Amino acid sequence: MNNAFIIGQYVPGESLIHRLDPRTKIMIIFFFVIFVFFANSAASYGLLTAFSIISAIVTRIKLSYIFKGLTPVWFLIVFTFFLHLIVTREGEVLFEVLSFPIYSGAVIQGSEISLRFFLLILVTSLLTLTTSPIEITDAIESLLHPLKRIKFPVHELALMMSISLRFIPTLMQETEKISKAQASRGVDFKTGPIKDRVQAIVPLLVPLFVSAFKRAEELAMAMEARGYQGGEGRTKLRELRIVNRDRYTALLFILIIIGLFLTRS
Amino acid sequence: MDISFKNVSYTYQPNTPFEHRAIHGLSFKISSGSFVAIVGHTGSGKSTLIQHLNGLLRPTIGQVTIGGFQLSSEKKLKQMKELRRRVGVVFQYPEHQLFEETVAKDIAFGPSNFGVDSEEISRRTLEAIKAVGLPEPLLERSPFDLSGGQMRRVAIAGVLAMNPEVLVLDEPTAGLDPRGQTEVMDMFYQLHQQKQLTTILVTHSMEDALHYADHVIILDHGTKYMEGKPEEVFVKKKELNKVQLDVPEVIQFLFKVEKKFGVRLTYHGQGLNEIANELHSIIKGADSIE
Repeated sequence: MNNAFIIGQYVPGESLIHRLDPRTKIMIIFFFVIFVFFANSAASYGLLTAFSIISAIVTRIKLSYIFKGLTPVWFLIVFTFFLHLIVTREGEVLFEVLSFPIYSGAVIQGSEISLRFFLLILVTSLLTLTTSPIEITDAIESLLHPLKRIKFPVHELALMMSISLRFIPTLMQETEKISKAQASRGVDFKTGPIKDRVQAIVPLLVPLFVSAFKRAEELAMAMEARGYQGGEGRTKLRELRIVNRDRYTALLFILIIIGLFLTRS
Repeated sequence: MDISFKNVSYTYQPNTPFEHRAIHGLSFKISSGSFVAIVGHTGSGKSTLIQHLNGLLRPTIGQVTIGGFQLSSEKKLKQMKELRRRVGVVFQYPEHQLFEETVAKDIAFGPSNFGVDSEEISRRTLEAIKAVGLPEPLLERSPFDLSGGQMRRVAIAGVLAMNPEVLVLDEPTAGLDPRGQTEVMDMFYQLHQQKQLTTILVTHSMEDALHYADHVIILDHGTKYMEGKPEEVFVKKKELNKVQLDVPEVIQFLFKVEKKFGVRLTYHGQGLNEIANELHSIIKGADSIE
């Protein structure tokens, strides 16, 4: 397993953010993603940054872990910044690097875009860090419920999502197991010429597909055996419920958005 | 090949909230040509331990020595492939690793990865399929058409065809029917003796450990709990129950006899017939006194 990459990884916990209704979290993040693009002054950026960082602290997941997990994204953020430095030609020339002029507009735009990017990734990864995949699918099913009227298969979509999410770790484990077994038979996945390494995928993929199909068949059989027949009249074990905690959080978020519009220049 | 673990620890996903120390401070020696059983409750670190034997994992702390190969956290082993050729591992449910079109090709996969020439490969394929007790015509069939038990044997043949000096078996009989279990274990024992392999068996079955092994290592929560000859280790009922293990049935029987009749029979590796004879002579003896 790749230890450094945490996007999509759920870390169980008991913090306020963990206990929020997943729908509250998804809606807040949805609007946050939109409103990030409304910020245009130092104060408004400060407000949004403070909101994100404080949320991250409230999750009680080690900040160092969250930031380390964003490592692959850091590269993109830095890259965006430098791209802007080179391409943008607005404002006055601040200084020259090797006779290449750096404009003040470029520095400002570069940092704005990178900051936005950072905030987006941070906040969305907070969602997956504090919400189990099952909660997320439940929330999506509930949020998409109105689409049922236009005959959109909401339940089936949610079921598909939760099954695929459920099987990601299983398949990863399976991959690791099979690759270890084949490595023991002398396959080298990590070194050697590209051609050999591509060929080394076959002994990994074939067993993986075989077992995935087998699993799918078994799952379908088990579901039918337990009387599954689609979403009609189906009740839930874990009912999602909006409580005061969610209302206060939503209210706080609305206040922050109002604050954002007040601090806009 | 002699194998030794010196103060070995292994931690999964270090420095994350998922950090998990699977084994720690593990030291033991396995001498060349011995048959060692590694026993422990689920989660005691057995599977982690055996992955060190062919370099799939490198110890986080400590040192593993397998013959002339040394594994430690500091540096990567250069002759990894050579180590893997000499140490064959039969994983749990090895039939999941089958992928080729025919049984023959799948058995040949290991040796051809290690650069064995084709003539030698076909010789070894034949030898391996015979060793696992499958008929030769099966070689041209697809491994996916076979029954579960046959697939297991094909996968085992694939490991045997590598001609390993050390054979590592991770619960090789799990999920087989009782008859298949004895057949497979007897086959491994025969190979062990014929080819003078060093065999390491991970198992849940105390009976198998008692029957086949000449040395037993008991793990609990990633550390060595007990070690010794099977007939010494398996009579310690109290200690075994503490780590959720049971004594083998034969020994349980002797304990029950002692409790019920007050007759003490010590276990020293005798078979069922010998025990029956001992009991017989005791009962006969008691009769003659009356």
